[in-house]
Amino acid sequence: MKNSSKDIDSHLIEKVKNGNEKAFKILMIKYYPRVYLALFSFTKSKEDSEDLAQQTFMKVWDQINSFRGDSAFFTWVYRIAINLAKNFVASANYRKQSLNASIDEFEMDFSLFNDVESLLIHDESLKKISNYVDTLPESLKTSFILREESGKTYEEISEMTDTPIGTVRSRIFRARELVIDYIKKDLIIND
Amino acid sequence: MISNEEKLSALFDGELDAAELDEFIDAVSDDPLLENKMSLYSLLSLSIADRNKAIPINKNVNKSFYNFWFSNSITAAASIALTLIVINNSDLTRMKINLDSANQIESAINSIEAKKIISQSEEFLTDHVMKVINDPTYMSNNKNLDFKDVGFKSINSNYIRGNENFNLRVEKKNLGIKQVKSWRHGNKNIFLVPLSDGRVITIYGNISRSTALAIAEKIK
Repeated sequence: MKNSSKDIDSHLIEKVKNGNEKAFKILMIKYYPRVYLALFSFTKSKEDSEDLAQQTFMKVWDQINSFRGDSAFFTWVYRIAINLAKNFVASANYRKQSLNASIDEFEMDFSLFNDVESLLIHDESLKKISNYVDTLPESLKTSFILREESGKTYEEISEMTDTPIGTVRSRIFRARELVIDYIKKDLIIND
Repeated sequence: MISNEEKLSALFDGELDAAELDEFIDAVSDDPLLENKMSLYSLLSLSIADRNKAIPINKNVNKSFYNFWFSNSITAAASIALTLIVINNSDLTRMKINLDSANQIESAINSIEAKKIISQSEEFLTDHVMKVINDPTYMSNNKNLDFKDVGFKSINSNYIRGNENFNLRVEKKNLGIKQVKSWRHGNKNIFLVPLSDGRVITIYGNISRSTALAIAEKIK
């Protein structure tokens, strides 16, 4: 039986609670861009947003045992991020004070995000990517948009499009591959 | 047998089972290329959400409404854009839905106001709306309701009528809502409709206000 995205988060979170750094890394990769963008909306600073995003995930790592699953994981992470942002706004020195011991216990590597997402988030790339999605073959685009925009599960998309689940999975994957090829060829390299 | 890349895509969508996931965690975290790809998947999700910029809606509902754009706080966080409207009293009394008042609530949103909303009284609603948008499972707590009278058939937790579809959630608590509220998210609307018995229903889909109210009337 397949999990929902929430179930998979829960599964990963349980592993993180047991100290599984690899599971944490996956959660961090998944949510970093959204956290970063939320923070940028407050700070309007790429550097500060990166600092705060790092602090956010350090706090997530530190406090994961207090996450009870009452809210979606991202909602919880978002609250941590926004509280940090509020404190940052209130105190210019806050960010210098808030690093804690957890960084010694688990060195997190944020370089991946800084090099790619930050670059793309701050120009017109998101819009370009979105426009490119509209040019995808219809069958790929339909499954992909139902998943990404409407949050439908593969099973729901399968029923809605009268297509086997395996085909849905494949179409969504192929759509992503095409868009990522576009990002790599036309956005990252050209920048 | 599917490739690791395709499996990664399924993982990102929450479509791996526990055993597959356990097996795949090591593969992802040990492979910089897969890590990078997952990071790009996340970015791609942002770009799709980014296309759902706020669009002022229902200008005819009440002239004193402002656009309610969470762009610099909630929206950016969830990569969504929301527009708040409050529906006219007249629509609701006609539907016999409890409304103590139809006070106009809209607030002009810029980053400062958005921050106020985050830090003040709407926090609970903010969480609720974010869950509605971000967590598909949150909107599936009522699978056995029948809306055939209004032309919607049920497929899993979705109700579908032609190109229209919605999900629905019923709250036993009233969430402090005394009037219908709605937000726009891309091509969808989120309606919170208080019922006279104290419950609140949340309807999320690409349906109109009048359709949402007709659905609410069926639940009542």
